[in-house]
Amino acid sequence: MEKTKISSNLRENEAYIRKRCKNCADILIRPMRLGDGPRVDCLMVYIEVAVSNMMLDDSAIGKMVNHFWEISPEQIQEFIRNNSLGIADVKKLPDMEAAFGALLAGNAVFFMDGCDQAMKISSKGYPNMGVSGAETEKVLRGSREGFSDAVKVNSALVRKRIRDTRLKVEERTVGVRSQTMIQILYIEDLVRDDLLEEIKNRLEEYEIDGILDSGMLEQLTEETWYSPFPQYQTTERPDRAAQELLNGKIVVICDNSPYALILPSSFNGFMESSEDWYHHFEMASFLRILRYLALMTATLLPGLYLAVIRFHTQILPANLILSFAEAREGVPFSSVAELIFLELAFELIREAGVRIPGSLGSTIGIVGGLIVGQAAVTANLVSPIVVMIVALTALGGMALPNEEFASAFRLLKYVFLFLGGYLGIFGIVLGIYMTVAHLAGLLSFGMPYLMPFVKKEEAGGTGEGILRLPFRKRKKRPVYARQEEKLRLRRREEH
Amino acid sequence: MRFAENNRISHRQLYRQMILAFLAPFLLCLPGKEGLLGKSGIVGIFLALAVLALYALLLLRMAPWYSDLVKSLGAVSGRGAGLFFLVYVILTGAYLARLMADLIPAVLVTGIPGSVISLLAVAVCSFGTCRGMQRRGRMAEVSGGILLWGIVLMMVLCLGQGRMDYLKEMAENSTVQGKTVIDGCYRFFCASSGLGLLPFSLKDVERRGKAGKTLIFGIVTLGGILIGTLLLLPAVLGWARLKEETWPVIPLMAGADLPGNVLARFDVLWMGFLLYSLLFAVGSIFHYGHQIALRAHMGTGRWWLPAAVFLMSVTEFGGKQIRDYYGFYLSFIFVPGLVILQIYMAFRGNMKRRRRTAAALLLITLLGLTGCAAIEPEKRMYPLALGVDASEQGFSMTYGMPDLPQATGQEKPEENGSIPVLSILGKDFREIGEIYDRSQEKYLDISHIQVILLGNRLIESGRWSDLFSYLKEEPFMGENVYLFRTEDPEAVLSWDSKGSSVGAYLTGLLENRLPGQQKSGVTLRQAYHQWYQDGTLVSLPLIVFEEEGIQVYLEEKE
Repeated sequence: MEKTKISSNLRENEAYIRKRCKNCADILIRPMRLGDGPRVDCLMVYIEVAVSNMMLDDSAIGKMVNHFWEISPEQIQEFIRNNSLGIADVKKLPDMEAAFGALLAGNAVFFMDGCDQAMKISSKGYPNMGVSGAETEKVLRGSREGFSDAVKVNSALVRKRIRDTRLKVEERTVGVRSQTMIQILYIEDLVRDDLLEEIKNRLEEYEIDGILDSGMLEQLTEETWYSPFPQYQTTERPDRAAQELLNGKIVVICDNSPYALILPSSFNGFMESSEDWYHHFEMASFLRILRYLALMTATLLPGLYLAVIRFHTQILPANLILSFAEAREGVPFSSVAELIFLELAFELIREAGVRIPGSLGSTIGIVGGLIVGQAAVTANLVSPIVVMIVALTALGGMALPNEEFASAFRLLKYVFLFLGGYLGIFGIVLGIYMTVAHLAGLLSFGMPYLMPFVKKEEAGGTGEGILRLPFRKRKKRPVYARQEEKLRLRRREEH
Repeated sequence: MRFAENNRISHRQLYRQMILAFLAPFLLCLPGKEGLLGKSGIVGIFLALAVLALYALLLLRMAPWYSDLVKSLGAVSGRGAGLFFLVYVILTGAYLARLMADLIPAVLVTGIPGSVISLLAVAVCSFGTCRGMQRRGRMAEVSGGILLWGIVLMMVLCLGQGRMDYLKEMAENSTVQGKTVIDGCYRFFCASSGLGLLPFSLKDVERRGKAGKTLIFGIVTLGGILIGTLLLLPAVLGWARLKEETWPVIPLMAGADLPGNVLARFDVLWMGFLLYSLLFAVGSIFHYGHQIALRAHMGTGRWWLPAAVFLMSVTEFGGKQIRDYYGFYLSFIFVPGLVILQIYMAFRGNMKRRRRTAAALLLITLLGLTGCAAIEPEKRMYPLALGVDASEQGFSMTYGMPDLPQATGQEKPEENGSIPVLSILGKDFREIGEIYDRSQEKYLDISHIQVILLGNRLIESGRWSDLFSYLKEEPFMGENVYLFRTEDPEAVLSWDSKGSSVGAYLTGLLENRLPGQQKSGVTLRQAYHQWYQDGTLVSLPLIVFEEEGIQVYLEEKE
């Protein structure tokens, strides 16, 4: 695309800017005359809220303007040509496209008569919420910081944890209209080159009007788009992102999104919580096993319940099946319909709980617990055992650390529910076969999704797997890192 | 992007694929009636293992010739060889699908037509079979170990059911004869003939030249498990019964329970493991079929192969279905043909979306069709005790029902605890079943029967064997049920045991004792054993019904 050059005549530049910014009330165009003796015409363009007046008075630009009052126009031009205004964080902009790019990114742009370049004067940019807590990945031990909506803040939070210039942050924009800034973070000597190449290619693969959240970016660049399983791991915790960078993975941060994308992802990675590395290994291992049991409960329990009570009653002790039969006495629906009814009711409660204002949150508990649970049982719409099954299934789903991953199993649960309800254990086995077959075929950026379970050599010393290794035994990096940088931990005397 | 790990499968993945694909077919089809049994079976397996180990090494050397059959054998011979393998693939797939179609409705999920089972199995196994060996390798990697250890664990749990005296019967009655050993060896070799397809996949195995150890280890593991099964089966079921059972591994777990009384039985889990292995075997068949079609320049087997397998599994020729003639085909056509073909090759030396939606819709429709098979728990009747006696009409059958509110602890004080007993008379058990179906609202679920009371008249008339024949056909009847004899079963079942059902009362009478006081009852499995052994009825504990209650005499009453 042909670029529009910046004219050395300020009037022409101003006319062009005013034309492009017509009806943009939020973009302020401020002409000024600077210099001692004969004055020189200048123009400052900025977005009203993104660059505050306070900043113009007190910070870099303010000081620059004050300085320009005291020198001649020739000296001002000389000053600009030689040392970019003589202040930090200033960048020369060669054309109008670059100038508008800088302006729309939330910076102030400075034009001067007789100069065919503009100056970008960095500002704090658009308003954002600042650093807040990680809402969806709460931990008992570990940092409370979470990513914010501003991409620069997010990369700074990661940099705060990895203060090494080998941590690279590459910037690019996606979205023809949204011009969303994204950053690709990786550690230069740990990341695999082919992986880095692949993510860059995928980001270039599509042209889209706007990217408003990392979720859109994720779906656009996924390889197996029809799979319910997430192929990127998301996190809103900078410490998790830093940990994965040290594992040789890549982190993609998208402006306006508090969720960073980590790639490649793996099944086991979704079952890990960032505090797994902060707890002692016994407890962390126990919690991981518990999460796997929770996953099975969340996916299989309703289907297994139906399979057992509808087909394979012999598997249960007599007293238990008699209790089930007694409990269902008088329920007008089939057990499949009963379970679906209650599962959907729970989904409604959950969805309402997400949308409802915080102060009303406790209402949802009362509505869910009393009306849907107790009242439905009393009215003989459902049996008490089904309430228990749905509650256990829900608890299982909530125990999974990653919401998107848990959602995939929430969907699968319904498939297993039908299979178990209509085909018994044969259906459950069919479902397991299909799920394993699907997961075995799934790749995340070329890496098998079932890593490290399908790793060819032993995963010893990497700390991968269901059980967490003691910290001192976790000497190697996982498979995602470069082969030549495998070592993660060693004693000082081994140097 | 292709990560280096994806390009080839590891030896462990190859090993686990072998275990997954062969274990269930071996366990289900090899031991039992007209199959591998006893000492000669065990010796035959040992012999076959030695032959197969050598054969596996030979297959490794042949792998390059399989990479393009047309190039290796010429246009006509190459396609002929491809056709030869494809016929095997279709018939084997059809055999396994038919096996599931026969097995599942008989022992697992009654009421679903076999053809629907077959179609579902074929449809599920055909998804993604063309997506490379690496995918199957990863499937095997994550599930092969679980399956192997699950099956071994269940066999270990089942050990407690075994009896030394039963095992001695096998040792005494089975002989090692040259012919039976050779038969057993050839049978095992034929069953393992699927290994003949391995060269089609060996190009995808890393360090192919060193895969021999893995192949041999896989064969030895399978043989070892089979030998373990051949020892476990007679120890649990008895030698005479074993010779009459078509699928003896199915009732193997019918009498075993888990420690802690969490589950009453785990034969359903056992079947689950076997089914997964069967599905993997069918999936492997499709994968190899696709590979063969490609390498014989016969297009892709992606769509027509599953269709052909399904059709073969449901089609009958002259009243014979695939399971009737597959053994003949394997023994007399495929295995000899394979040997000839491989010798010939050795001598030559240098020689998507719309369909997915349609398939998903079809599966959903099929699920809907199967819905009639399930019966809700409250619509079943759960007799905990069964009384059987001879009558003038033939037989009388009395079902002792639990009082549901009492059994579940939800009895209200004002409720009158009458003892629900149902008696039906009929000339045989089939007629009794028909009368029950005509007259009773609820489905009869006999899987929770705890005790069976045999009337003295039934025992004395010798018609108890009719009862045993009937019970043998009931797939859900547990074999750990206790047997008793009594003068009047109906009177015993109508007795008010004050708080628990007669079934629970009698079971408690036998089981709730300290080790020093341990009394041993007679289970159905023991009764079957003697019945198969010499056609007689084992001596049963006697229940004497008196006004103040019932008493059980384990020994003959003086």
